[in-house]
Amino acid sequence: MAKAKTTIRNQIRVLRFTHGEMTQQSLADRIGVSRQTLNAIELSKYSPSLEVAFRIARVFGEPLEAVFQHEPEAN
Amino acid sequence: MQPSFTEKSVWIQLVSMLVALGAYSVVAGVMLSEGVDQLAAFVPLFVVSVVFLVVLQISGHTVAAITARPESPDERDRLIRWRSESNSSWIVAIGVLGGITALVVAVDPVWIAHCLLLSLFVSQVAAYVFQLVYYRRGMQGVGGV
Repeated sequence: MAKAKTTIRNQIRVLRFTHGEMTQQSLADRIGVSRQTLNAIELSKYSPSLEVAFRIARVFGEPLEAVFQHEPEAN
Repeated sequence: MQPSFTEKSVWIQLVSMLVALGAYSVVAGVMLSEGVDQLAAFVPLFVVSVVFLVVLQISGHTVAAITARPESPDERDRLIRWRSESNSSWIVAIGVLGGITALVVAVDPVWIAHCLLLSLFVSQVAAYVFQLVYYRRGMQGVGGV
């Protein structure tokens, strides 16, 4: 079965690495979602709400656009 | 990837429902085929099935909570549940319309009751299956597909 990919890309994996190799569980606990949900966001299998997106950006001290990028779908 | 507690909970609910209400369906089907047409005759069987369902769900969730940290559903869990229930709600609608049609043509009440029960059962099973598919396949956010 084809995987559903969103058009929102993100730099969470890179940012976790550059912030002391933060674990998924640690970041998930700080933003109030399960580790599985954070993993789905990282893999672009789920687009988070604006609230969660802002929480993630705040943890890394980055603007939202540095964490998430929108890629328009090719027609 | 290790499933979340909520995804495990969906598996537990799906399996317990298939076992308990599946068993009810088999026994009730045999009774109907043998000509039992009194609804009251099915009540004890239904009560036993529901108690069995509750016992299975409590046991399953207890084991899941022991083996992994229980977590409250987050926004993705809630979205998956809402979308799955939305996807499967038409099955109940068909069951209700079928029940009304059966009433109009004066079908035996025992068949109407089981038609409604079956639509509820199938709709709930479909909702669980949709949830498991969304957990594995992924899904877009509120505006996505």
